[in-house]
Amino acid sequence: MLKRIGVLSPLLALLAWPAAAQTFYISAIPDQDESRLMERFGKIAGYLTRQLGVEFKYLPVKSYEASVTGFRNNQIQMAWYGGLTGVQARLRVPGSEAIVQGFEDQAFVSYFIANTGTGLERSQAFPTAIAGRTFTFGSKGSTSGRLMPEFFIREAFGKAPDDVFRRVGFSGDHSKTIALVQSGAYEVGALNYEVWNTELAKGRIDTRRVKVIWQTPAYPDYHWVIRGDVDSTWGGGFKERVRQALLSIDDPLLMKVFARSKFVPAKNSDYDPILKTGQAIGVID
Amino acid sequence: MPRSAAFRTSLWFLGLAAACLLLSDIEITTRDPWFELGRMMRGALTPDFFATEQLASALLHTVAFAATGVGIAVLAGFCLALVFHVGAVRWGCAFLRAIHELFWALIFLQMFGLSPLTGVLAIAIPYSAICAKVFAEILEEADATPLKALPAGSGILSGFFYARLPPVWQHMKTYALYRLECGMRSSAVLGFVGLPTLGFHLQTAFQQGQYSEVSALLYLFFLLISTLRLWVRPRLVPLLFVLAILALPPGMPIAWENALRFLTADIVPAPLRAGALLDAGTLGALGRWMGMLLRDQALPGMVATLLLSQVALVGTGLLTLVFFPLISRHFFGPVGRTAGHVFLVIARSTPEYILTFTFLQAWGPSMLPAIVALALHNGAIIGHLTGRHADAIPRRPDSPRGLNLYGFEVLPRVYGQFLAFLFYRWEVILRETAILGMLGIHTLGFFIDNALSQLRLDRMMFLLLVTAVMNVGIDILSRRIRANLRLTVNPETGE
Amino acid sequence: MRVFQLQAANVSYNGRRALAEVSLAIEAGERVALVGKSGAGKSTLLNLLYRQQTARCALVPQDYALVKPLSVFHNVYIGRLNRHAAAYNLLNLAWPLPREVEPVRAVLRRVALEEKLFTPVGELSGGQQQRTAVARALHQGGEVLLGDEPVSSVDELQSREVLAAINQDFRTVVLAMHDVALALAFTDRVIGLQGGRIVLDRPTAGLQPGDLDSLYRS
Repeated sequence: MLKRIGVLSPLLALLAWPAAAQTFYISAIPDQDESRLMERFGKIAGYLTRQLGVEFKYLPVKSYEASVTGFRNNQIQMAWYGGLTGVQARLRVPGSEAIVQGFEDQAFVSYFIANTGTGLERSQAFPTAIAGRTFTFGSKGSTSGRLMPEFFIREAFGKAPDDVFRRVGFSGDHSKTIALVQSGAYEVGALNYEVWNTELAKGRIDTRRVKVIWQTPAYPDYHWVIRGDVDSTWGGGFKERVRQALLSIDDPLLMKVFARSKFVPAKNSDYDPILKTGQAIGVID
Repeated sequence: MPRSAAFRTSLWFLGLAAACLLLSDIEITTRDPWFELGRMMRGALTPDFFATEQLASALLHTVAFAATGVGIAVLAGFCLALVFHVGAVRWGCAFLRAIHELFWALIFLQMFGLSPLTGVLAIAIPYSAICAKVFAEILEEADATPLKALPAGSGILSGFFYARLPPVWQHMKTYALYRLECGMRSSAVLGFVGLPTLGFHLQTAFQQGQYSEVSALLYLFFLLISTLRLWVRPRLVPLLFVLAILALPPGMPIAWENALRFLTADIVPAPLRAGALLDAGTLGALGRWMGMLLRDQALPGMVATLLLSQVALVGTGLLTLVFFPLISRHFFGPVGRTAGHVFLVIARSTPEYILTFTFLQAWGPSMLPAIVALALHNGAIIGHLTGRHADAIPRRPDSPRGLNLYGFEVLPRVYGQFLAFLFYRWEVILRETAILGMLGIHTLGFFIDNALSQLRLDRMMFLLLVTAVMNVGIDILSRRIRANLRLTVNPETGE
Repeated sequence: MRVFQLQAANVSYNGRRALAEVSLAIEAGERVALVGKSGAGKSTLLNLLYRQQTARCALVPQDYALVKPLSVFHNVYIGRLNRHAAAYNLLNLAWPLPREVEPVRAVLRRVALEEKLFTPVGELSGGQQQRTAVARALHQGGEVLLGDEPVSSVDELQSREVLAAINQDFRTVVLAMHDVALALAFTDRVIGLQGGRIVLDRPTAGLQPGDLDSLYRS
């Protein structure tokens, strides 16, 4: 009997998950250029490893839903999610929790941008002149690139985007949305304002070809979501230690690659407005 | 071929495709369609082989997934072929191969996450079903005369291995190698959903507009495929298979409770999950749920899929008629033919998915990129087969030249074969059209991707089933047409 | 002892009658030649006899029924597939054992094919293939041999050696033959067929080749 277990044990080690003293995987929705995500989350994983004495690793994924699936399957223990993805993940993993958000995420906004060839101008009120144009969202599961823009479009026109625009697309991520509107592949698009500002600061946007035409009202967005069962694997109070480690980052460089001034505490109920919006649009049951 | 059945069928399909084209959305939506293509061309001329340090591992994993998946599929397909006359096996296989490997990958990603098992099964399952069908056809068409000289009481096993298998062995080996080539393309495309193969980096590079990296990745891929016959030697196959398994990426360990939950809860239609009992109320809700999905997603998706695939099928046919002379000795000398071969190899080695992705970047999201990509890729495949077939026609010293030769001597003789190839490809084109929806064209894959992005796996599964049923239907229809026209040679088996 | 017995047998293919009202009995130890024009019903009659006594017969079919990609050794070994377990047969398929190769070599010597032992059958000439089919039957052995033109592609001299080997190994022999001289030399009973009917059934002794000419006239 013992012998048999001896033979099986490498196999069991592969199948049993999670086991003690193992790597803590973090991930994120792939909402912009992968090279930037690698830099950002490689740095934060290094920081957490140093702070907490447990190995943290960043696991890149190809799609929003893959990050949720990994989180649900406990292949990812903590993730940096947009508002909508965080809600979707918490609905599927009971006990998981929003612990920290960026200071700016308490009042996040989306930008509507347009190719300058359209002649659309910046306005305070919703730009109803975009009706009949071609329009691109970001990823289908994005909060700032899809959910909230669609919500405001439906509010303004009283009908679905497919009925408002000549053509509706999903670019995949915010960086691509800028590229597509700039090249004229689409006339109008909507995206995360933070990605726009970062790319603008780096001089990667040709402002003669693309400009911001509207800013949405504010809503809560990105935040860290952690699984409820991490304490049982990494020791009591581990979740709290992770939260404290994130809140006490004082390295300005680290916050700069995150494009946030600092992290602040968050709780699940902060995202109830997102849940309601998701249900209203019909992407959440 | 005036007024022959083949001619009339061709006219029918041409007319149908023209009608479909009128209903299709083929607009170029970019303001400057040639701008992005120009950047791509520049990237093609300046490949950057050092853009990503993971290039070698991506290629290795592409081969590993392909070899492991196809290896399993060939063995399983062989066993299934022996019992293929059983109705349940035949229908089961028709169903399994009606679901594209990328869709299988989406299913297994939900069950096993980013585990090597996901990629291996995604290739192995549909390929087993395809191999089963083709191996069964090969066995069926094999010369059966050796069986009659067996001494009475030889036993089924001995008889099979001595008299039944040897005559078709070479044929099966050739087909298995062809499947490996297909497996390499499938494996590369699996990267688009997150497995660490070539597609993973291709997608990133495309998304960020780094076309020099794209071209480097593709050039190495072409090299790998075109040298396949050099490094896959029959004696080395067992060794390659073991090495491939060892070379699979480690990935994440599997949590079996997730697989179980997927099968028992996630894919159960929402109304059934919510309802405690199978009472009238629950069934009514289920009916409304299915009605809604059929009306709003499945039907529009099917219409778009059929429209697009119909145009793509005829486009494939027209391009084939242009492509096959490029590699035929009737029309070109050695230099011209070599150029033709290089072009056809590139066009058929690049998966449709990647071709479509490329044209989408340039022309924006309409059906046009998908039509052009499907026609190019499939036209190159059938053009290659038809070209070889044309070369088997003897050439008279007094035969005409150029267009006259093409129209009066060559085309009439290869036309039946060409149609047979085309109709065999129909099912493949349809499967591929459905999957291209994942890229934003509103075929069935678009709605499946929508359901997935909302993590509504029950809807995803329902739409997948609809897709499979449609593919099986087209398979049956294509077999009927081939039987009516007496076109019997399978391009995949009739080499 | 009676080996074959037919009572007013009829056989039709697609509504065309191939054998009509054929009655005949063949005793153990008889050597019978079936003669007649092509299409007269010889092959049909042979097949009928084979089905009657499958377990006791070795067969040399008209199309040889060889497995072309396999070597001469394997094709001859097929004659004894029924004597071994499947696993042993598979072992010999992958790796011919000396204890099986030697008897096959001895049989091939008798039909002058020894040097082709491990040549794939597909690479042999027609006559060599035919001799391989005969070797397979010799290797199989048993009481009865049914041969459908077993020497039609072999030259005169070798034909005699092959037929002598057949007569030596099998007690009862039924051969469809078109070469009347050879038929008379190696059999002791001639059955003549015309249009699916038996029109002649006589001992060979005393028959002259010319006596059979009428069978070949229409």
